[in-house]
Amino acid sequence: MKREELIKKWLDHNLNTEEQIAFEQLDDYNELMKMDSALRDFKAPKFSSTQSYQEVKTKLKPKVSQPQQWLKPLLRIAAVLAIGFSIYYFTTTLDTSINTEIAEQTTIALPDDSMVNLNANSTVTYNESHWNKTRAVKLQGEAFFKVAKGKKFDVITEDGIVSVLGTEFNVKQRHSYFEVTCYEGLVAVTYNNNTTKLKPGHSFKIIDGKLLATEKENAVQPQWLHGESSFTSVPLKHVIKEFENQYNRTLITENIDLSRLYTGSFTHNNLDLALKSVTIPLNLSYSISEESILLKRE
Amino acid sequence: MSKPLQDNICESQLFERLYKKHAKNLHDFLYYKYGDQLNPQDKVQEAFIKLWQNCSKVAANKAKSYLFTTANNLMLNAYAHQKVVLKHKKQPLKTSTNETPEFLLEEKEYHQKLQAALSKLTEAQRVAFLLNRVEGKRFKEIAALLDISVKGVEKRIYGALKKLREDIDEL
Repeated sequence: MKREELIKKWLDHNLNTEEQIAFEQLDDYNELMKMDSALRDFKAPKFSSTQSYQEVKTKLKPKVSQPQQWLKPLLRIAAVLAIGFSIYYFTTTLDTSINTEIAEQTTIALPDDSMVNLNANSTVTYNESHWNKTRAVKLQGEAFFKVAKGKKFDVITEDGIVSVLGTEFNVKQRHSYFEVTCYEGLVAVTYNNNTTKLKPGHSFKIIDGKLLATEKENAVQPQWLHGESSFTSVPLKHVIKEFENQYNRTLITENIDLSRLYTGSFTHNNLDLALKSVTIPLNLSYSISEESILLKRE
Repeated sequence: MSKPLQDNICESQLFERLYKKHAKNLHDFLYYKYGDQLNPQDKVQEAFIKLWQNCSKVAANKAKSYLFTTANNLMLNAYAHQKVVLKHKKQPLKTSTNETPEFLLEEKEYHQKLQAALSKLTEAQRVAFLLNRVEGKRFKEIAALLDISVKGVEKRIYGALKKLREDIDEL
């Protein structure tokens, strides 16, 4: 048997008696014995499994018992539901806002069946979920209200507040123009901490900061509901603004006194006819181009 | 379903059995591979604690390789932070001796040469060699412990022996 094989067998503690004798005859024998005995000094220090285990046992955290395993998933579900409910509650109690573009009109039914007709370029805001407690509507622009009989109904505008119980009225709030007209019932207008009560046919007007006298209105409803804007002694500049609300056009004026008073009306459905209605009584002329319409003195 | 598969390590009696079975081997393995400096005893305990923490994720028959891998990684992390000189603690010499001083000196010198030569072996060679020569383990046992073939064990041990003899003869 080769030398190498013998040595390998010796290493593996696998020598039979014969092989053992042969091994001891090898030249390497003494060297190997010397190394072997010296190696004993390199033994690993004693390791007591039992003692070590006792130490480890104290450091081990006890395993959580079965019943606890449902707690975490349950908490997760509860959290998701809680968040879900909050979002639902939050979104359903938000305000509802409806607005009209230029040349657009629309009708809105409020939760108590009150009706609102919204004129062009206007916005109305109210809160559906709070409607049972308070009937309050924010308005920017112009709207005609038909309020169902019931608790107090408020229309809140930048310029003033209109309060009614059950009635029909028109509120117009534009730039430097605040007008409330009562058509039926009783309307209270609060402006600058002063309250004015309006009977049917009467209106409250603040134009360019001036309070104008109320006058008797014979119509049952405002004209704009029937496709026409009508004005009584209203400065031209407000007429032009309303024109721009009804027709998607820009009106430019040249050398015209915009504070001239205009009495009359213009249709919503025919641009040329409407222009003539405004310009002829005032001795003005107009010319239409791509971007705008120019008004100037005749 | 066979019995072993049902055994969950999270059961403390089984865990204790695993400990008694593998802890000493693991300790010796770490000691022979890395020496004394980085506290192999602690690493053994840490590895078992990690096993307990992950007991639901480790199958009983994979526990041994989990322990060895974990303990080895813990060692390597500690090792990376220090440039450690491999040192194996020398057991105390026999106190009563009738050897001459020269003999003792020669023995001491031989010992130092052996120490130096051992640290020059590859880790693989050193672990297999010392488990065989010092712990008296047979090739088959070592193969099971290290998860390698018997032939592989033989190669490492014989290779270690050759290298050691060359190194010592040189000096």
